[in-house]
Amino acid sequence: MIVESQARRMTRTLAAYMVVALFVFPLYFWATTAFKNAKDIFNTPPTVWVFEPTLRNFEEVFGISLGFFRQQEVLPGGGNFFMAPRLWDSIVVALGSTLLSVIVATLAGYSLSRMDFRFRHLFVGWVLSTRMMPPVAVAIPMFFIYKDIGLLDTYTGIILIHAVMNLPLAVLLLKSFFDDIPRDIDECAMIDGASRWIIFRRIVLPMARGGVAATAVLCFIFSWTEFIFVLTLTQTGLKTVPVVSSSFVTSTGTAWGNMAALGVAATAPAFLFILLVQKQLVRGLTLGSLKE
Amino acid sequence: MRDSDRKRYLAKIVDDYVRRRISRRQFLTTSAQLGLGAAALGTGMSRPFGGLFTPANADEMLQPSQEVLDWVADVSTPFRGTTLKLATESTPPSNAINSQLKPYFEEASGMTVEIEVLPLEQVLQKLTLDIASQLGTYDLYYIDQSWAAFTSRDVFDPREQLADKPDLAMPDWRVEDFLPALVDGIARYEDRLVGVPYDIPIFIMMYRKDIWEEMGFEAPTELEQYYQQAKAITDAMGPEMYGATGQMKSGHYSLECDWTAWLWGHGGSIFNSDGKFSGNDERGLEAMEYWRRLYQTMPPGVTGWTWDGQGQSIAQGVAASMMSWGEFFPYFDDPNATKVSGLMEAARCPAPKNPLRTVEDTGFGEIPGVGHQGGSSLAVSQNSKNPDAAWIFMQWATCHDTQVLITALGGGTGPTRTAVYDDPRILANRRVGPGTTRHLNVVRDTIAMDMGSEPDLPEWAELANDTIPVRLGKYFAGDYGSAKEAMDDIAQAADKIVSG
Repeated sequence: MIVESQARRMTRTLAAYMVVALFVFPLYFWATTAFKNAKDIFNTPPTVWVFEPTLRNFEEVFGISLGFFRQQEVLPGGGNFFMAPRLWDSIVVALGSTLLSVIVATLAGYSLSRMDFRFRHLFVGWVLSTRMMPPVAVAIPMFFIYKDIGLLDTYTGIILIHAVMNLPLAVLLLKSFFDDIPRDIDECAMIDGASRWIIFRRIVLPMARGGVAATAVLCFIFSWTEFIFVLTLTQTGLKTVPVVSSSFVTSTGTAWGNMAALGVAATAPAFLFILLVQKQLVRGLTLGSLKE
Repeated sequence: MRDSDRKRYLAKIVDDYVRRRISRRQFLTTSAQLGLGAAALGTGMSRPFGGLFTPANADEMLQPSQEVLDWVADVSTPFRGTTLKLATESTPPSNAINSQLKPYFEEASGMTVEIEVLPLEQVLQKLTLDIASQLGTYDLYYIDQSWAAFTSRDVFDPREQLADKPDLAMPDWRVEDFLPALVDGIARYEDRLVGVPYDIPIFIMMYRKDIWEEMGFEAPTELEQYYQQAKAITDAMGPEMYGATGQMKSGHYSLECDWTAWLWGHGGSIFNSDGKFSGNDERGLEAMEYWRRLYQTMPPGVTGWTWDGQGQSIAQGVAASMMSWGEFFPYFDDPNATKVSGLMEAARCPAPKNPLRTVEDTGFGEIPGVGHQGGSSLAVSQNSKNPDAAWIFMQWATCHDTQVLITALGGGTGPTRTAVYDDPRILANRRVGPGTTRHLNVVRDTIAMDMGSEPDLPEWAELANDTIPVRLGKYFAGDYGSAKEAMDDIAQAADKIVSG
């Protein structure tokens, strides 16, 4: 048995802490910026640990007064940085497009994994190729199409475009997850008289739920952070967080405190979603990593 | 309570509120008891930069004019239920209208106004798309002065609207009431008016009075004197304090803005009368030499700052002066946001070193002047489905009364109408504090005497946002052997773009 020296262990631990700090510090700095006054945000030298905390940035972003903690009241629904509805827009769009992507991709992924048809491999390549087109090249033509068919500035329009954007990756991911489930299981079920649909719904899909969760998380994150389509295909009806974040850039400066407050608030739904599927996610990410 | 007592008491409680001696709840309650309406509406909602909606004074003067609202209600009858859309940069006028004044218009007109607030480059993208598609997704355009040329045929000329629709014309709303220099510099392209001037950020000199006094200086009146003062401060107080600061981020429009101020200030111009780039001539190189020297007096990191970082360097007490957008001044006076409240003073920009070139000496309508302006106009789109309704909104948004409210509630932004500067509601706010208007006389003088306007040509947006600032950034990064080499490179690229 190799015994690690104490010095070596301490060095390793210290190095680990430093690496963690490297990743955590920017998050800490951003999160604390949300609780700082303008004076502290721009202080020279920067105020990192000691500052007078305020909830004003959150109050302005959410248009509410935070009762006991109130330092200065804010009118409900007031100011230019009132962004609470935009957080809701982001949640609706991300959840809607994720759901749509996962439903379609699950069916498509299973079909590509299990069904043999001509040019199947070409079909897979074609699905992947749609992901290679940069969104900015599609955004302008989509604007004209959406305007014509009345989808401009609507939830449906943005959910659809995000779903389409995520589908190639989701289909390929899920296909690989389905590929990892032995075909023998399908064949045994068929011998027992199960239909394709029954096999898919009752046997294969439950076995691949870790993969589905991992795919859903990726789709959610891509939709949550997507910028160019929302910018081009919306006006005043809805906006997601990445696009409204740019509204904090004004003609005479950037409202960093408000932007940080919205950023901190915006991580909560994504964090919650990932927390909910965490168990499945770990299974999904490790699915197929070991072959028998 | 007698009227005089009531007014005195109102003034006292507003003063208490502004000085944070009473809470907003107490202020609102007391105001309501005294019948104070719109003046109280603005309190509590604030923007971090120049947007503190501090009431100029306490009485009913800060309520929208009933006469104006009656006119809106009267002419809007056929348009009730109409929805108007406008995409605009996040500027003080747009923010004041969007967050505070719009409800008054909507209530009177029965229309809905949807304002999309975006950074400038995104406004340009939306506007370009709307013009190219001719779909009329926006009824009104917010037009930066550098876009006037390519939008001129896609918007209504307000003079034509006044003539064609006399029944929709607001009484006493005249194009002649706008500052003539702004009409020429922002809204005019060839024979057309591209809307009317809507906002006017303009370069003024802002300096730390305490430091200037400590050094025994007077406000600089000439460019060379300004450099000597900035250098003396940096030498004496650096690295804690620098004499000057800038907005010199490589590849950013702000760098081009700084360049033009020094170029024009040395008697140069961007184009000559033949339409060729002339920043590489003798005066252009003299300006570059001056700028290089002044750059030595600025804080390290200035080449990474746009106007945002520049303003912060003053606000946090790192730099003592800047020649930049006057919109910053009311923000500097906010004790909750900066370290320099009450310490800043505004002055006209130092006089040019060489005689300014005339418009005839330059190309594409360029107007040389040390006070670089970045104003914008508001215009009704030719593609709008509701041009008449949009025209009513445009008149309301740019009328005297609305501009007073924008200036008073929107944080001391510069009005574009002559008479607004002397309005009692604006004069009442000339005191140290957020949203002050004590710098507006300097702004007005600068517009009248020092204003410089960029050329109007369709390619200008590309030149100003890419060609010129990218190469200037390379110059300050040391990628060129000399200023001449950099300017020659810009000349070659600019002439190629202009010639198509």
